[in-house]
Amino acid sequence: MSAPLSDPAAPAEIRESASRERREKLWRFLTDWQAMAGLVLVVLFFASAIFAPWLAPYDPNAMDIPARMSGPTWAHIAGTDQLGRDTFSRILHGGRVALYISAIGVSASLSIGLVLGMIAGYGPRWLDNLMLLMFDAVRSFPAVILALATVALTGPSLTVVLAIVILTTIPSYGRVARTATLALRHTEFILAERSLGASTPRILFQHIMPNVIGPLLILAAMEVPVVVSIEAGLSFLGIGVLPPQASWGTILNEGYLVIRDAPWMVIAGGIPLILTTLGFTFLGEALRDVFDPRMGRGR
Amino acid sequence: MTKDILLNIEGLSLDFRTNRGRVKALRDISFPVQKGRILGIVGESGSGKSTVLWSILGLLAGNAEVTAGRVDYGARDLLTLDAQALRAIRGEEISVVFQDPMTSQIPVLPYARQMSDILYRRSMSEADKRKAAIDMLRRVGIPDPDSRIDAYPHQFSGGMRQRAGIAMSMLTGPNLLLADEPTTALDVTMEAQMIGLMRGLRDDFDTTIVVVSHNLGLIAEMCDDVVVMYAGEVVETGEVHEIFHNARHPYTRALLECDPARIAEVSRKLPVIPGDIPDLTRPLPGCIFADRCQKAMPDCAKVAPPMVARGGGMARCHLLEGPLADASWPPPADVVTVGRDLGGLAPVKARSDAPPLLEVHDLNVRFRTMGPLKARLNGVSDPFVDAVLDVSLDVKPGETLALVGESGSGKTTLGRTILNLQGASGGTVRFDGRDIAGMAEGQFKPLRRDMTMMFQDPVGSLSPRKSVRALITEPLVIHGAQGRDLDTEAERLADMVRLPRSFLSRYPHELSGGQARRVGVARALALNPRLIVADEPTAGLDVSVQGEILNLMADLQAEHGLSYLIITHNLPVVRHIADRIAIMYLGRIVEDGPAAKVFARPAHPYTRALVEGVPQPDPDRRRPPTAVIEGEVPSLLRRPKGCDFAARCPLAQDACHAAKPRHTHIAPDHRHACLFPLRTPSDLTETA
Repeated sequence: MSAPLSDPAAPAEIRESASRERREKLWRFLTDWQAMAGLVLVVLFFASAIFAPWLAPYDPNAMDIPARMSGPTWAHIAGTDQLGRDTFSRILHGGRVALYISAIGVSASLSIGLVLGMIAGYGPRWLDNLMLLMFDAVRSFPAVILALATVALTGPSLTVVLAIVILTTIPSYGRVARTATLALRHTEFILAERSLGASTPRILFQHIMPNVIGPLLILAAMEVPVVVSIEAGLSFLGIGVLPPQASWGTILNEGYLVIRDAPWMVIAGGIPLILTTLGFTFLGEALRDVFDPRMGRGR
Repeated sequence: MTKDILLNIEGLSLDFRTNRGRVKALRDISFPVQKGRILGIVGESGSGKSTVLWSILGLLAGNAEVTAGRVDYGARDLLTLDAQALRAIRGEEISVVFQDPMTSQIPVLPYARQMSDILYRRSMSEADKRKAAIDMLRRVGIPDPDSRIDAYPHQFSGGMRQRAGIAMSMLTGPNLLLADEPTTALDVTMEAQMIGLMRGLRDDFDTTIVVVSHNLGLIAEMCDDVVVMYAGEVVETGEVHEIFHNARHPYTRALLECDPARIAEVSRKLPVIPGDIPDLTRPLPGCIFADRCQKAMPDCAKVAPPMVARGGGMARCHLLEGPLADASWPPPADVVTVGRDLGGLAPVKARSDAPPLLEVHDLNVRFRTMGPLKARLNGVSDPFVDAVLDVSLDVKPGETLALVGESGSGKTTLGRTILNLQGASGGTVRFDGRDIAGMAEGQFKPLRRDMTMMFQDPVGSLSPRKSVRALITEPLVIHGAQGRDLDTEAERLADMVRLPRSFLSRYPHELSGGQARRVGVARALALNPRLIVADEPTAGLDVSVQGEILNLMADLQAEHGLSYLIITHNLPVVRHIADRIAIMYLGRIVEDGPAAKVFARPAHPYTRALVEGVPQPDPDRRRPPTAVIEGEVPSLLRRPKGCDFAARCPLAQDACHAAKPRHTHIAPDHRHACLFPLRTPSDLTETA
C-alpha cells in the first residue's frame, strides 16, 4: 500500500488524499485522551527504564544501614528497604529488567503466536488440530514448574526466564489469532482474493493479519504486566533475577516480608506496575481504534 | 372502506447523534394509518422507512432522539408513554414481524415455549396456550402443527420460520402489525406465499398492517395505501392505484420508472436516478430531492415545497402548486421522466458460430455430509449431497448468460467451481478449449487474468483494511504488473467505472453499496479479463442504483467484448441484460434457452412459476392466490427420486415421480428437462 503512495510520479491530487487519510488517523489518535494518557505512561516507562542510571538518585545496591526501613522522606522519596537501599532507585533500575523481559518476551510471543495461529486457522484441518494440541500441551505446564525444570538443567539466568515466558505465552496469542482467522477464512473478501490468484502468504499477511492483529495488540498490552509478574515470581524463587539486582518483582517480594512495618515498599513497588498496565492497556485500545478504520473515536 | 384512523403520525422528527454530528434522520413525517388497511412504506436505503416503524414502538437505538411530533394511537401519544405503558402495548396491541426470522427467534427454545411465553399476560392454562399456538400455526400454513410446535427454529426452513414468525406476532390478536421487510430474506416463490398469507390474515382478523419494503412489487401486490419516503421525508402518500398509476412526485415517478419489472420493452440500458442521497447532517432548506430531480428548478433547493393534497393522499412538490406549478406535470404514464443513458457503444451481437469461451459439460459437485467412519458406522453408503448435478452450459465470447435459481439451487457453487475455487467431482470445464476443472492452483493462476469473479456482497467482498486504491490495483500486484505505474492504473480503472478519483483513498466501510460495487467491477476488470462471473451483481443495491451498475457492465461488455455469467435470482433484471438464461433447480438445469423465448414461452413449469412468481409493481395485475406455487425448495439431503420439482409441480403426474427427466431440445438453442412441457400453439409450429 505504501509503494504506490510514495511514487513521485503520483498526481498531486492522489498524494494529497493519501496524506489526508494519514493526517486524519494521526489526528484521531492525538485527540483521544486515553491514547495520550497511554502514550505518556508508556513513554514514561521506557524513559525511566532506559535512563535509570542517570535518573536514579542513588546506586540501587548501595546500602545505607542507618537509614534502613525509612519511610518516604525528602532524601528517599519512596523510602528504603531492610538493607537501607533507596527504593526509588531500585524501582527505576527494576524497570530495566521489566522492559527487557516484556519488550522481547511480548513481541516474540506475539509474532510467533500470530503466525502459528493464522496458519492453524487458515490451513487444513489436521494442521489446525496439531497446532491446538501443541498450544494446549504448552499451556498445561505451569510456567514456574517448567522454569524450575529447565533451570535444573541450565542454571539460573535471565535468558531462561525469557525463553520460558515466550514459550508459555505463545498459546494465548495463537488461540486468539486462530479463532479470528477461522471466522475470516470463508468471508467473501478472502474468496475474492483467492479468485484473483493471491498466494496463501499474501492472503495471510496482507489481508488476514490486519484484521486479526487488533485483539492481539490489546492482549499484548495486557500481557506486559503478566510477563513482569512471571519474572517477579521466578525471581522470588531464585531462578530469575538474582539478588542483589533490582527488579519490580524482587522489590514486591522483599516488601511483602515487611509489609506490617514498611507498607510503603509494597505500595511504591506496585505503583509502577499499575501505571505500566494502565498505560499499555490504554495504548493498546487506542491503537486498535486507529488500526481499524471502521471504528471512530468517542466510544 | 372505513375511514377510522388507528394510528396517526404527526410531524415526527428524529435525530441520530453520531460522531459526524446530528443526522436528521426523519423530518416532519406525517401520515395516518387507517383501520383495517395495509399501509406500505416504500423507500430506498437511507430513506428512514424502518426508523419510522421502530419509532412507533419506541424500539429505536440509544442515540436516537425524537425532536418533534406525536404518534397518536387511540387517545394516547405513544412517544410520551412511559416504559411500562409501552410494554403493555408492545406485542399485545401492536406487534412486529421481523425481516430475518433466523435472528429474531430464540434458537434454544422450541416454538411451543416461545409462543406460550408471548401469552404471558393472559390468565390461561398452559394447555390452552398451547392450543392457541397450534391453531395459529395451522392458520399460517405450517403443516402438522401439533407436532411441529415442539420443533426449534433451526429445524424449520426459511419460509416456515417466517410463517412461524407471523404466527407469533398474530398470536395475541394485535390491532396493528408492523412488518419490516418481511420477505426480503425469502425466495421469489416464498415471497408470493407470504403476501397471500398476510392479506388473508388481514381479512380474517381485521388487523391493520404497516409494511416497510424497498420492493415495489411487494407494495403493489399487498398494500392498500402507500407512503413514499426519500431521505427522511415523506414525499408522497396516497392510495395504491393512485401512486402506481398516477404518481405526482418526481421521485415516486422516477422510482417506478427505474424498476426493471415495469419496463415492457427489453432494453440493455436501464433508467437510473443520478446522484446520491444528500448528507442528512445538513439537510437542504428546500426540496430534499432537488439535486437529483430531473425537473428541478433553481428555487427547488431554496424554498420548501408545498404539501398538495389529493383524495386522501398528498405530495410535496413545487410542480403541483404555487408559483412554480407546471400544468403539464405529471406527464402521461408512457413518458419517461428519468435520465436514460442511451449513449455508449451499441451492444455487440454475440457471434453464435464462434466456439464457446466457456464450456461446462456434465459438471458435478458433491459435498461430504459426514466423515467416512461415521458413514460406515451408520450404514450410509453414499454420505454426499449433490450441490451441482450434471450441469452443462456454454458461454460464447461477448455473450451474457444468466444462471437463475432460488437459494439452494447450487448456482453459486457452480460459479465458484468454474473459477476453481471449489473442487469438482465429475465432468469437465473448458475455458478457451483447455480443460480447467480441478487444475492445480499454480497452473491455474495465469488463467485468473482471463476469468474473474464479482461477489455477492458489494462491501463484504472488499478487504476491509485496504484503501480503494490498493483494492483495485490488487490484481496487478498479484499478477506482477512490472513497469506499470500503479497510481496511473488506479486512476484509469476508477475512470473506467465512473468512480470519482477522490474515492481512491477511501476504505470499504466508507462506501455506499453502489460505490462498493463499482470498486468490485474495477477490480474484476483490472487485468482485462475475457469472462466475468458475477454473483448477484445487483444484490444490496437500490433500484435507482442498480441500473447504473448494469448499464456500466453493458458498456464495458460492448467496449471489451466481455462474456458474462450472471448468477442471480432477480428475473426482472435478467430479462433486460441476458442473451440466454439457464434455470437451475436443486443443482440441475431445468431449462435453458434464449432469454426472450424462455420468458415468453417457458417450457418447464418451474420456469413459469418463477416468471409469474415475481410480484408485479402494478396493483391492477395482482395475481389470484391460486397462481402462487406451493411448498418450498426441498433440502438437498432429501433429493426426490424423480423430477426434483415434482412435489411442487401443479402438473405433476405419476411418471414425474419415477425417474429424472432427461434434457430435451424443443429448438436447437432451447432445452428443458420436463416430461410434460408446457406447450403453446406457436411452440408447436416452431418445432414442427
